[in-house]
Amino acid sequence: MTSPHLSQATGLRRRAEIAAGSLPPLLVQAEQLAGSVLLGEHGRRRAGMGDDFWQYRVAQPGDSRNMIDHRRSARGDQQFIREREWQIAQTVHVWVDQGGSMRFASKPDLPQKIDRARKLALAASILMLRGGERVGLTGTALPPRSGNMQVLRMAEAFSLNDDTDYAPPEHHAMIPHARGLFISDFLGPFDELQLALGKAADRGLRGVLLQVLDPSEEAFPFSGRTLFESVTGGLRHETLKASALRDRYLERLAERRDGLETLCRATGWQIGLHHTGDSAQTALLWLYHALERTR
Amino acid sequence: MTLLAGIGFTTPWLLLGLLALPILWLLLRAVPPAPVRRVFPAVTLLLGLSDDESLSDRTPWWLLLLRLLAVAAAIIGLSGPVLNPAPSTAGRGPLLLVLDASWVGADNWRQRREQITSKLTEAGRAGRTVALLRLTAPEPLQFQSADVWRSRVAGLGPQPWQPNPDQIATALDHLTAVETGFDTLWFADGLEYPDRDQLISALQARGELQVHQTSANRLGLLPAQVADGAIELTVLRSHTSAEQQVTVLAQGRDPGGTMRVLASVSVDFTAGVDRASARLILPSQLRARITRFELQRIRSAGAVALTDDSLRRREVALISSQTDNEGLVLLSPMHYLRQALQPTAELFEGGLGDLLPANPDVIILADVARLAETEEEQLTEWVEKGGMLLRFAGPRLAASDISRDEEHPLMPVRLRSGGRSLGGAMSWGEPKTLAPFQQGSPFYGLTIPEEVTVSSQVMAQPDPSLADRVIAALGDGTPLVTRKALGQGQVVLFHVTANAEWTSLPLSGLFVDMLERLAVSTAAKPPSADDLEGTIWTPIKVLDGFGRLGEADTLPGVNGPELMEAAAGPDLRPGLYDSGSRTLARNVLRAGDQLQPAIWPRDVPVISAAASAERALGGMLISLALVLLALDVAASLALSGLLHLSRTAALVLGLAAAAWLGLPAQSALAQQGADQLGLSSELALAHVLTGDDQVDEIAHSGLRGLSNTLAFRTSIEPSLPVGVDLERDELAFYPLLYWPITPDQPRPSAAAYTRLNAYLRTGGMILFDTRDANLVGAGASSANARKLQQLARSLDIPPLEPLPADHVLTRAFYLLQDFPGRHQRGELWVEAAPADAEHIEGMPFRNLNDGVTPVVIGSNDWGAAWAVDNNGRPLLPVGRGFAGERQRELAYRFGVNLVMHVLTGNYKSDQVHVPALLDRLGQ
Repeated sequence: MTSPHLSQATGLRRRAEIAAGSLPPLLVQAEQLAGSVLLGEHGRRRAGMGDDFWQYRVAQPGDSRNMIDHRRSARGDQQFIREREWQIAQTVHVWVDQGGSMRFASKPDLPQKIDRARKLALAASILMLRGGERVGLTGTALPPRSGNMQVLRMAEAFSLNDDTDYAPPEHHAMIPHARGLFISDFLGPFDELQLALGKAADRGLRGVLLQVLDPSEEAFPFSGRTLFESVTGGLRHETLKASALRDRYLERLAERRDGLETLCRATGWQIGLHHTGDSAQTALLWLYHALERTR
Repeated sequence: MTLLAGIGFTTPWLLLGLLALPILWLLLRAVPPAPVRRVFPAVTLLLGLSDDESLSDRTPWWLLLLRLLAVAAAIIGLSGPVLNPAPSTAGRGPLLLVLDASWVGADNWRQRREQITSKLTEAGRAGRTVALLRLTAPEPLQFQSADVWRSRVAGLGPQPWQPNPDQIATALDHLTAVETGFDTLWFADGLEYPDRDQLISALQARGELQVHQTSANRLGLLPAQVADGAIELTVLRSHTSAEQQVTVLAQGRDPGGTMRVLASVSVDFTAGVDRASARLILPSQLRARITRFELQRIRSAGAVALTDDSLRRREVALISSQTDNEGLVLLSPMHYLRQALQPTAELFEGGLGDLLPANPDVIILADVARLAETEEEQLTEWVEKGGMLLRFAGPRLAASDISRDEEHPLMPVRLRSGGRSLGGAMSWGEPKTLAPFQQGSPFYGLTIPEEVTVSSQVMAQPDPSLADRVIAALGDGTPLVTRKALGQGQVVLFHVTANAEWTSLPLSGLFVDMLERLAVSTAAKPPSADDLEGTIWTPIKVLDGFGRLGEADTLPGVNGPELMEAAAGPDLRPGLYDSGSRTLARNVLRAGDQLQPAIWPRDVPVISAAASAERALGGMLISLALVLLALDVAASLALSGLLHLSRTAALVLGLAAAAWLGLPAQSALAQQGADQLGLSSELALAHVLTGDDQVDEIAHSGLRGLSNTLAFRTSIEPSLPVGVDLERDELAFYPLLYWPITPDQPRPSAAAYTRLNAYLRTGGMILFDTRDANLVGAGASSANARKLQQLARSLDIPPLEPLPADHVLTRAFYLLQDFPGRHQRGELWVEAAPADAEHIEGMPFRNLNDGVTPVVIGSNDWGAAWAVDNNGRPLLPVGRGFAGERQRELAYRFGVNLVMHVLTGNYKSDQVHVPALLDRLGQ
């Protein structure tokens, strides 16, 4: 005798196992990538609450007497106070474009854009989680938390695909003054991104945009009569002579990038560009330092 | 109908279709190719961009040209073009085909046969009856339908002789037996032979005679002659006008027994000469191996010269006066003779009485003065029958009075008593050197080394005949080697010893050369008819018309004189003949033969040009059209960007083509090579396939788990593990073999053990795992342990000991005390430390063996502890709870240490010297 609840629960469990079974490769790749960055600077580089010694400073009026460090003060006439480095957990919101446009690789030996984006996001998340930050997704799906279990949850969240061609950035439920990491190809509608970043800036969020592009999107190596389609086939453009479009396409791409940069300057974000043909490690290093700077 | 020279069409009106091509051009031009569909996410940026020029896309001109060519080829192919359309020759009534069918035409027999077949086909079409007459093997004429003859043509080979008068007489008889008149086609080989004119007039009397004859230059090879140590090869030809170069190949069996070309020599004809010869000088060992000479690239019995005894190794009998003194080998003249002759001749030693009946080619008497009277008689008789007696002087000869007063029959010259000695303590003068050899001497042309000197010799009496008999002399003109003919044989005397006592000649290479010249110059000459009188020779192997040797089977024997003198024919087939112990080669051509081109009377029409056969071209053109259309498909696909889809198809096609061309073996080999290349480019762990699927699978996943751990924790990043089949796979690529033991796995073959031992000796390591916890080495033997003993018995394994606490395995990467797998208690055995390893005070570790232990034997079932599934989760439980996970972790650490140990050797051992080195540097 099996109750329907039980069978439902075991079915769910089984599906979850199957879903989680695909995680380890992504996790292992991301862990290995994250393992290549040594964590050097954790602290906030300013005096505050924390465990690590920061500096001695001369006691000033207003300091409590029990803050005086007697061992240091006994060496001279002045009284010193031992300050500790301010250590506080930051919150980081991660958004990875899971839309159809990311599921694209121009050659079989290149990774899809979405694979690279997920790997970088997860590796950066692992680094930040190891640094003690709270990491989560934008939106309500996975609120920021700390701890190693969060890596698993993030990996699980990254395993879902979006059916639309160009997914708009998720900008709900962002915690004020947190940090943001948005990874996408940013080829979708520009005003959605503008809206999302505007909202983030309103809440005091700063962060990093990483544009992931396929080499063919940068070079446009096409010629002849061509019918261009988006990944799901929703958008089409036909031309008789693709090589003649090249210059104008590149112009538009540069325009888009200019727009992104202007937007970032206005909102205090940083923008980076990564091609799937390049090594993931350099992109991760850049991401790591960019996130450091925005802290 | 014939349009072009040499090309005709069966249905020429189809060619009108070519007129449609321009219309096709216009039609095809108007249809543009389909657009390429490309997935491109950045299409958002393209939306709204319009094409600048409204370019109407057209099919590229080369594609149009390709299609038009395909269509044109198809049209022309269908109209039935024929190359060399045969002009039909009229004629009716019976037809006689006369063939020379001798060795002369064997070289282009295939063309000849095709010609005959085409004539037969023609006659069949015209409904003529045909008879066929081979002049080399005449048979009664049978007029039959051409189809019957066509099936028999393949069986009519050329014979290895020319038509001789007897055969022509037979042929004439057969002709007169036919009552009706007939036309004649004569396929002649182009050489003259006797009584041909009778045949011509007889044939002309019965009807029209037409002669087909190729104008090729005919070549023949005469039997090889041996003269003065060289083989003389003479080539004959029928056309004498031009200069020509012909290569003669010497064929024989190599020491391995396979036929191969042992030497080759080129023969140059100058203009206007019908024969030319070349000399081939070969080491006698090589010469003895030659079984036949043949002209390069000519398949004919006349281009082959078989060899017989005349090239084989000489049989030399050595006879010395003194009994062998074992202690003084270097003083014995026999020693020098043996050394000189061993490589080139068969040597016999013994008494004269025993050796003479063996009838050797050469008898050497080293310092033998007197012979018994009967022996002397026998020896003289032997020499007179063609033997060669070689004598060396010496103290005994000098002391004896043989050939003193009158010339002894077995000495070439008279000798003065005592001899002379030069350059000694009691004599004036220096030791003498040799004078250059005179022309006419068999030694002429040999270079004389400066160090050859003569200090003693026996002297010849001056005689009127002396000058003729000297074939080598000293610098002062005194004879050194003399020779005289005796009957058919000869007697040669060296006036010095055969050892180094009197002269340094036996020490030099000149001695060997001189002996070789002498032995060679006595080579058996081709026996004359007189010698062969009364002998019967049985054929062993006979030549066919193409020059191939075949078994003689039941052919009758041949009288000796006939063998040498008669012309070859059905009763005397060229080949190898045998009588007693002697072998004779009878070749097609004899020394006096000539090759004379045939001359035909003026009223006989001779068609000499090699008629080229009719050939239909339609099939070729239609296949060309198909190939072009296939190219068109590929080109169209490429233009529309769809070729990548068909790449696999192209691969399949290419592979099929390769298979069709008979390359599968090579490609398989290449495949294997590529596999091995792949293996060698990356490190991989390997396990031995035991045949038990479950064990193999666990071993495989265990190594996968270990590989993952290595990749994650260390700089070793192995690729996927490999299961190796010891019988087939190359082991050299794997640093570590994990060998789980099962009781019922098969014992590897001897070849596999050879490779395993080579693997162990060249730095490989095998980890044996009996997987049964603690029974290895502990007296009590489990099934697995017994199996391990069986398996390892043939392996080259050094002495073992239980792992000492200071072994480098305990610290190659992790510091470990014990090495659990799925079991915990098993002992680990490694190569024993050398006996002289001692514990040094203050050092944590002994200085142990230099290198890597070739085997590690344990029982802890590590494979199971390491095993992970595809997602990296442990496959099998280890222990209980946290302690179990700890045990698994230690198992991984053991694996890491093991691989580190294999790859870095005793690197960690060396670290123990660091404090001492630093200490020393500091002072």
